[in-house]
Amino acid sequence: MSRFAKDQQDRVFIRRRLEAVAGLVAVGFLLLTIRAVDLHWLQADELQAMADRQHFRQFESVAPRGPIVDTHGRTLSESIEVPSIAAIAREVPKADVTKLADALGITEKRLTKKLSRNKGFVWLARQVSPATAEKVMALNVEGVRQESEWRRFHPLGPEIGHLLGFVGIDGDGLEGVERNFNDKLSGTPGIRLVQRDARGHSLPGGSWLKQPAMGKTVQLSLDSTIQSIAYAALADGIRQQNAKGGSVVVMRPKDGAIVAMANWPGFNPNSFGKHKPGEWRNRVITDVFEPGSTLKPFTIAAALDSGKWKPESRVFCEDGKYQVANHTIHDDHQEGWLDLTGLISRSSNIGIAKVALDIGSERLYNMLAEVGFERRSGIGLSGESPGIIPPIGRWGPVETANIAFGQGIAVTPLQLATAFCVLANGGNYVAPKLLAEQPASQPRRVMPAKTAQTIITMLEAATGPNGTGGKAVPAGYRVAGKTGTAQKPSADGSYEDDKFTAVFAGIAPADNPELVVIVVIDEPQESIYGGQVAAPVFRNIVATALPYLGISPNQSGASEWQLLNTSLSNSSELVSRHSLIRLSLREARSIASARGFQLRTHGTGWISRQEPSSLDSVVSGDLVEVWLNE
Amino acid sequence: MISRRLSTILILGSVAMLATAQVWLSHIRYELSLETSRVQKEQNELKREMHQLNLELASLTRPERLRKIAQTELGMAPPLPIQVVRP
Repeated sequence: MSRFAKDQQDRVFIRRRLEAVAGLVAVGFLLLTIRAVDLHWLQADELQAMADRQHFRQFESVAPRGPIVDTHGRTLSESIEVPSIAAIAREVPKADVTKLADALGITEKRLTKKLSRNKGFVWLARQVSPATAEKVMALNVEGVRQESEWRRFHPLGPEIGHLLGFVGIDGDGLEGVERNFNDKLSGTPGIRLVQRDARGHSLPGGSWLKQPAMGKTVQLSLDSTIQSIAYAALADGIRQQNAKGGSVVVMRPKDGAIVAMANWPGFNPNSFGKHKPGEWRNRVITDVFEPGSTLKPFTIAAALDSGKWKPESRVFCEDGKYQVANHTIHDDHQEGWLDLTGLISRSSNIGIAKVALDIGSERLYNMLAEVGFERRSGIGLSGESPGIIPPIGRWGPVETANIAFGQGIAVTPLQLATAFCVLANGGNYVAPKLLAEQPASQPRRVMPAKTAQTIITMLEAATGPNGTGGKAVPAGYRVAGKTGTAQKPSADGSYEDDKFTAVFAGIAPADNPELVVIVVIDEPQESIYGGQVAAPVFRNIVATALPYLGISPNQSGASEWQLLNTSLSNSSELVSRHSLIRLSLREARSIASARGFQLRTHGTGWISRQEPSSLDSVVSGDLVEVWLNE
Repeated sequence: MISRRLSTILILGSVAMLATAQVWLSHIRYELSLETSRVQKEQNELKREMHQLNLELASLTRPERLRKIAQTELGMAPPLPIQVVRP
């Protein structure tokens, strides 16, 4: 081949190569263009979403539940963040189950069951202590992680458990105030959109898709100090009487504020799972009882209202036995002629029944309905009972007579407290309220002020020397109140022979009512009478609560009080004495102070007589009277 | 000719300066974002601590506990009505 021909051949080869390369480049460009169109156009939406998912991240910001506080702003319920342990079940190595169960404090079998429930996310232990969480996380088991949850704590525990209720593990109120004010207490979780860099750090300029809002504070009218006083006094009274249970409600009559509401046995909302659902019930509002003689003041009010009866009107009490239709009414004490004050202070069923039969069922029914006995008070708690009053059409003479002294009718402790507030408010009905911010309801007149005042005077006599409620009076204060003892209804519609409810309903101080206190003791064993069982609980509550509220004792009888400003010695020899006789007043005061009883003194010099004669049965809060001779 | 060269230098210089400023700003922005997350975390911690302290305060000052301490450790007793002169 000639040189020319070879050159020609090379040139063609080079050109073909160039053409082939150019062709490949063109194909490459074409493919790139197709890919670019595919990515930027056909798959654009999907890819953009994927990129956004990587660049942006949404964080849910949990807002805590609002606290519940008392009238002075003291915390009753508060949420705090606690660790919970979760796992992606399929990632947890089987070999680590034993040590994981050990750190969590549960059995291996239980942990395996939890892990087999679901292959994905499972809770292993919720709301654990920080120490447990630390122990578990130190194991560094694959798939196990720590989450944060809000847990509700109630620092006052059983004292207030029934009223506050509790919150479930998912943060919803399930009982009591927590349930009924759930909407206000619950926080609204927020969602924040944050842009992240390649290393996963958040970049500034994130935006809230939804602003988080902490739950609002619920402030109750309750005073935790008085609540604690009431609970302690109730528990003491129940222990002394070996009773089944009891309730106390304390109200401020002026604005209807509920100051304390306690039940015994208590219920600890911090460990609600350990209690049976029946024990969660706030019996002050859910349970009804026959009010017995504590209803008598309202029968007398209806009689005075009718204009047919005056306080000094007299009734013959039939010496303890009286027949109404085919039913016989008995009195515990045989009484002859009594005026209306005597009917209240001696608590005569027969006298009250005769008064009620004279004024007629309608007047009595209207009075009971007006003071709030046949409807729910509307304090905003669910499960409230409206009480039971038989329809007026079914009131024959027997029913009228029975209801007049509190039988055949059932009320809640709260209804009885509200009714006594009517007396304390000079005849005005003020609806009870539980929230501090809630304005007091407009007072509604349901009986003339004069009638209410007359009844209070009668109730003061009922706690006097001739009344049944003498044990309700704390030394230094005037108290108006009424005892009640009622047989408990049995399942078959009759009455239990040996089961009673002892009640005391009282107003303190009688001359300027600041508190209305209702004490209900269920099935007391040592004594059945309200005056013996419930009245001392009332006294212990008001004796502590009134000074706390800044209400001075009545000093008008100052001569009775040998006010001494001496330093009190605290000798153990003196303290263990059984009697105060032959001691000086200073020594007697020292013993009274150490043992917590109240001392009423007469005369000067050395103690020559005391009542009761022995100090053995005297408990804290009791009154001991001593007479001194020069 | 000189002015053309000068303006080229000026333009290039400005571009370089702006580019440096941009890098500097993005660095500041990054630093600030780290600071913001740290402060936010601290704020959350403080809020958490506040809830805990509130609860601790309520537990320590609950009336039943104070009563027990007053009676057993300090030897105090509820005032009798005659001891209440001016509440």
